[in-house]
Amino acid sequence: MERYTTEAQPCPEQFSPRSSSITIENLGYSYPGTQKPALSEVCLNVADGEFVLVAGPSGAGKSTLLRCLNGLVPHFTGGRISGNLSVAGHNPLEEGPQILSQVVGFVFQDPEAQFVVDRVEDEIAFALENAAIPPAEMRLRVEEVLHLMGLANLRDRRVETLSGGEKQKVAIAAALALRPQILALDEPTSQLDPQSAEDVLQALVRLNQDLGLTVLLAEHRLERVLPYVDRLIYLSEDDHSACSGPPRDVLSQVDLNPPLVALGKALDWNPLPLTIKEGRRFASRASRPDSRSQTGGLRKTPRTTTSRDGRGNTKSRPSRFAIHDLHFAYNGKPILQGIDLEMEPGELVALMGRNGSGKTTLLKCVVGLLKPKHGGIRMDDDSLVGKETAEISRQVGYLPQDPGDLLFADTVGEELAVTLRNHDLLEAPPVPPDDLLSRLDLEKLKAAYPRDLSAGQRQRVALGAITVTRPHLLLLDEPTRGLDYEAKRELIRLLREWQEEGTSILLVTHDVELVAQAADRVALLSQGEIIADAPPELLTTSPLFAPQIARLFPGTGWLTVDDALDGLVENGKTPEA
Amino acid sequence: MLDARVWFIWALTTLVAASATRSPMYIIVLLLTTMVVGGTCAAGEGRRAPLSPLRFAMVAVPLSALFNALTVHLGDTVLLHLPSWIPLVGGAITLEAVTFGALNGLTLTVIFAAFSVFNQVTPVRDLIKLTPRAFHEGGVVLSIALTFIPQTTRSLQRIREAQAVRGHRVRGIRDWLPIVVPLLVSGLERAMGLAEAMVARGYGAVTSQKQPVRTQALIIVGLLTLLAGWLAYLFNAAWRAPAVAVIAAGAAAIGLAIWLTGRGVHHTVYRARSWTFGDSFALLGCAVTLAAAWRGRAALYYSPYPALTLPSFDPLMGMALLGLLVPAIVTVAREDAEMHRHRDGDQDHDSSSHQ
Repeated sequence: MERYTTEAQPCPEQFSPRSSSITIENLGYSYPGTQKPALSEVCLNVADGEFVLVAGPSGAGKSTLLRCLNGLVPHFTGGRISGNLSVAGHNPLEEGPQILSQVVGFVFQDPEAQFVVDRVEDEIAFALENAAIPPAEMRLRVEEVLHLMGLANLRDRRVETLSGGEKQKVAIAAALALRPQILALDEPTSQLDPQSAEDVLQALVRLNQDLGLTVLLAEHRLERVLPYVDRLIYLSEDDHSACSGPPRDVLSQVDLNPPLVALGKALDWNPLPLTIKEGRRFASRASRPDSRSQTGGLRKTPRTTTSRDGRGNTKSRPSRFAIHDLHFAYNGKPILQGIDLEMEPGELVALMGRNGSGKTTLLKCVVGLLKPKHGGIRMDDDSLVGKETAEISRQVGYLPQDPGDLLFADTVGEELAVTLRNHDLLEAPPVPPDDLLSRLDLEKLKAAYPRDLSAGQRQRVALGAITVTRPHLLLLDEPTRGLDYEAKRELIRLLREWQEEGTSILLVTHDVELVAQAADRVALLSQGEIIADAPPELLTTSPLFAPQIARLFPGTGWLTVDDALDGLVENGKTPEA
Repeated sequence: MLDARVWFIWALTTLVAASATRSPMYIIVLLLTTMVVGGTCAAGEGRRAPLSPLRFAMVAVPLSALFNALTVHLGDTVLLHLPSWIPLVGGAITLEAVTFGALNGLTLTVIFAAFSVFNQVTPVRDLIKLTPRAFHEGGVVLSIALTFIPQTTRSLQRIREAQAVRGHRVRGIRDWLPIVVPLLVSGLERAMGLAEAMVARGYGAVTSQKQPVRTQALIIVGLLTLLAGWLAYLFNAAWRAPAVAVIAAGAAAIGLAIWLTGRGVHHTVYRARSWTFGDSFALLGCAVTLAAAWRGRAALYYSPYPALTLPSFDPLMGMALLGLLVPAIVTVAREDAEMHRHRDGDQDHDSSSHQ
């Protein structure tokens, strides 16, 4: 590690070191081997007991900033750092992560990658044993955090048998056992399904409100956390500087728009609503169509004109996909029971349902990774059952939950070539790889090492690797997990383009906002059966799945910001604040 | 649950007893004992054994029989002759050699079964505790390696699937490259992540890195003394008694050095497990088996050469080997007691609710 000093510039924020637990002055940092700074001129002030959300696009420096707080940056990573930093009276740059571990508890993105031993209780005690805490006190502390995080029933369980959310709670408990004053979490929910994510976030809110713990949380899904946040730190991708303040003030200045905020900005609602409750006041005032006379509560016009226009093209490659009476059992336990599903060319169907309802199993059966007990899967007149995965994968592209599993080549361009070679298509690729790369916005990264890219870019490379054979059907498993708003928008654009070309898309997701924006139909899976198969307006009636806009304007059938804006204009009540 | 040390001694005792005999009767007694203990103690939650003992036997027994038959040409019952110009394997293939080889395979199976039971019943944290304090870090490394195994198996499965959906087929050895590379890379990424997580949790914070010169000197002196004693023991029969004393002194010096280093490692133990009657009982069982195996060496001995004979079986020795069954008895008794306690608790609850 190396320190360099820059000319001190006045920080915009007022410093009051006594009341604040974290003070950062002109912090700059670059990783070893790069000239581009990861953080630049960051000035911050966080008071004791604040709940702080660290937001910003992938690669803007959120993880780096959090790692500065406990000295992992630069002690673990190396690199050049400048500026001043004070965390609860300590200087992480001087003292290093081992000493700061008593002050700052740290939780990482991947719950699996942070466990040392195999039992819950032992895992929590591990850090205490190493800190040589006397056994009697250790007993007390472990008991304390087990209860605090609601893990008392799981104390004897083996870590690998826990769900993702439970694992992340164990990781938080292990960090809390050292009794830190500050808890820093680096996208702790990005690998979790919404229910588990909600669980973890609720636990954090409790820790903050009941114990007065200062919490710094890096997170993409703002809509979930905004109601609880005291301060929002936005890191910009362009100059890697930070903008910090009360969430409302910061949100109005930056391009960070959960649906409610986007609508609020478009309609000039002031003060900007952060919760559905706050939004409803504006919504009822703004306008509301007379649901009965206008649309009968459901919109009748097609949702996205683009996806329907695509039907014209499909005559050249008509591919109808159908699943008929599909059954699958694992160790005698039925997982799928009589699944029937048909898809038109160019149609996007979202498959939703709780964890363990059989969504991923269904996708794996389609692509031949699992052998169904009985039932049919057909692409036109072609049966897919019993075929080898390698053969099916030419017609059916499957994107697994972690796109990183697909990537192993040295360059982005090579990833596409590998798939073509596997299918003996290198000489006559169905899609020219360069065209596909430019469509995926990856042409500049053709020579880059795939695993060094951001989550969104990695996913696009994986998508390239599976669509270069021009499949008729795409199966995507949780494609928005860990993506920021920009990457999500980009994904939706891509999906629409593929739909226009007649590719059917079956999408497993928990992301209701994605479904609201992109799906033509929603199929709800429960205990291995499809219990509903309907247009996305189905979502508006279910409290579990309703997107923000649907909750804001109940009974209108609106799902997205565009729906709401169009609807309000249609009603002749141009939005006025 | 027994103490990890007791389990370790149990596995060692099984190893000693199995190595001491080639009599099929005793080997089968030992194999059954180990499997019963495995079935009762390692059932339910635990690390899964990488390979079941039966599957191990299916490979080990024929392989060992074949190897022995091809390389050892002793015995009276000749099955066939291989041309003698073939080096090593040429000559008579005898029933005795096949039998002895198969018995070796069975012995290996017993040892394998015993250590896989040990591996399944001992939580990772207890394995760390088994290592002396001075080697605490080594113990942690071992435990991490153990938790890495199931994670790596899972990522291997995921990566195989991911490559299959890109049209990848495994036909030859080269086709494993697209699977092995991501597996290694993801393993390294996970290792870095874990290292970071451990640093963030203060790992290595209070271990004093300074190794005082005197402990280092003590280790060197100890090793030299040990070596000198050993050489003296080997080369002059008259020096044997003093040589043993010198060896003991060398070993003591090394032990002291390890203890001194261990004092420098500051860490405490969460919920140290207290010694139970079951632990003592299991140890006693091991002691009985060991003593019998030592005293009854002659009874345990069996050799199929030169001609196959029916092995003898001493029931007393058979009983003594059952000393290894104690862990299963302790576990069953404990479960029974717990069930009774639950039932009594329920009845109390019922009677109080009726009143």
